Amino acid sequence: MNSTSSLAKARPADSQASEAAPRPSLAEMPLAAVRHAAEAAAIRPEPPPPTKVDIRDVSFFYGDAQALKNISLPLRDRRVTAFIGPSGCGKSTLLRVLNRIYELYPNQRATGAVLLDGADILAPGLDLNRLRAKIGMVFQKPTPFPMAIYDNIAFGIRLYEKLPKTELDDRVESALRRAALWDEVKDKLRQSGLGLSGGQQQRLCIARAIAVEPEVLLLDEPASALDPISTQRIEELIAELKADYCIAIVTHNMQQAARSSDYTAFLYLGELIEFDETELIFTHPRVKRTEDYITGRFG
Amino acid sequence: MPAEHIIKRYDEELDRLNKMIVEMGGLAESQLAAAIDAVVKRDSDLAASVVEGDGRVDQIERDLDTLAIRLLALRQPMARDLREIFVALKIASDLERICDYAANVAKRSIALAQTPPIQPVYALPRMAHLALALVKDVIDAYVERDADKALGVWMRDEELDEMYSSLFREFLTYMMEDPRIIGACTHLLFMAKNIERIGDHATNIAENLYYLVHGTPLDQRRPKGDKSSLEVVSPEGSSGRRAGAP
Repeated sequence: MNSTSSLAKARPADSQASEAAPRPSLAEMPLAAVRHAAEAAAIRPEPPPPTKVDIRDVSFFYGDAQALKNISLPLRDRRVTAFIGPSGCGKSTLLRVLNRIYELYPNQRATGAVLLDGADILAPGLDLNRLRAKIGMVFQKPTPFPMAIYDNIAFGIRLYEKLPKTELDDRVESALRRAALWDEVKDKLRQSGLGLSGGQQQRLCIARAIAVEPEVLLLDEPASALDPISTQRIEELIAELKADYCIAIVTHNMQQAARSSDYTAFLYLGELIEFDETELIFTHPRVKRTEDYITGRFG
Repeated sequence: MPAEHIIKRYDEELDRLNKMIVEMGGLAESQLAAAIDAVVKRDSDLAASVVEGDGRVDQIERDLDTLAIRLLALRQPMARDLREIFVALKIASDLERICDYAANVAKRSIALAQTPPIQPVYALPRMAHLALALVKDVIDAYVERDADKALGVWMRDEELDEMYSSLFREFLTYMMEDPRIIGACTHLLFMAKNIERIGDHATNIAENLYYLVHGTPLDQRRPKGDKSSLEVVSPEGSSGRRAGAP
């Protein structure tokens, strides 16, 4: 089953052929044809960017319980894809599959394939440390290490690379700058990361994730524990980071998904109900269940 | 309206918005019908009541704007709900314009009633009744959320345009034949134009309703039946001539 491509087909978006054909006069057209022509006219151009992570027919099991059912969707490079859905729908589980963090726990397994630039990251024998360097993750609760701000960033880099001190300094500064935290912490790099505010801690975690120069960033409710100002800082940061990364974000906040993502996937009871451009999901979803959820009609 | 929101107040507010549009629509119909009646019966009292009634419509529109802004700010509507509110704002402004035109017809009918009755007056009601039917049908379509019915209104406006074109020629002919009725005929011509504009607003409403139901705009070019803006008339010829034609 490939729910993504079947959904994509349902859209008239690729039917550019209808533009070329001469249009019959309106008066000659039956009502249904008028409506169809009107729908075909609403074509949005711009081809989507290439797929960075291709999720193919992924199912996931906690022991015997199936938490994801044959999920297929692409994560486009340099774009933000949001996973939304009610609690227990599988959105966080899907995120956890993408860097195999679930392997830390017994009795959890995934089937299907997740292709990162064409190579299956679910394949056995894969170097998980290398994988997690390529696919960084930030969690709901800020999780700074109990060490200096500087070392929080340098820790990950030291795991993968042996760099001279000045170069390491540069990398730390660059990561903190990119996470929009540098100006706030540059004078206290030796102080503990735990002394920062919640919003700063979360940006520190994002800095730590990007310091090892990953290709994909997974954000699991990165702003749900933060105040509105810190939340907006994180969203602004996401908007800047997407110039360089493929980003997937899980959020309970629908406005946040609408504001900060390019694509949105709606999951329900472990199934992918609808996947499309964010603008369409929030203005004109195809599936009634999606519309019920985003308009607050979910019973 | 589809299944209910988890937050009941939200449903109540959307329902209120809906009822305001329906009330404005009802007023637009009755104002237009009364205005036409006032013209035909030369009833200046009725005309005056139409002019006065316009204030009520303006008041509902202001209330609707306030409610819509409130909903947008406090409920952060999405998808169909967002279209409901956006479309209600647009339809309300079309209905307000329709009532303005009806009031203008009524106002002119007071002036017209001061002059001796003239034959061309009887050409107006047929056109006005078509406009009234378009308004009525598009309001019904809104109540029923019936996009096909809205499309029907959208297409029938062409007929109204054609009637206006032919009335335009007819009035010109009367004026050329008898310059003494130029004053009265000019009022009639403006009335006819007002009624033609009412049809345009009905089609706007139809387009917005289509968008509300389907989520995609109806952006086809509408057939145009009014050619009067291309016409010139000279006292030598008795019938109108198309500009640019030999």
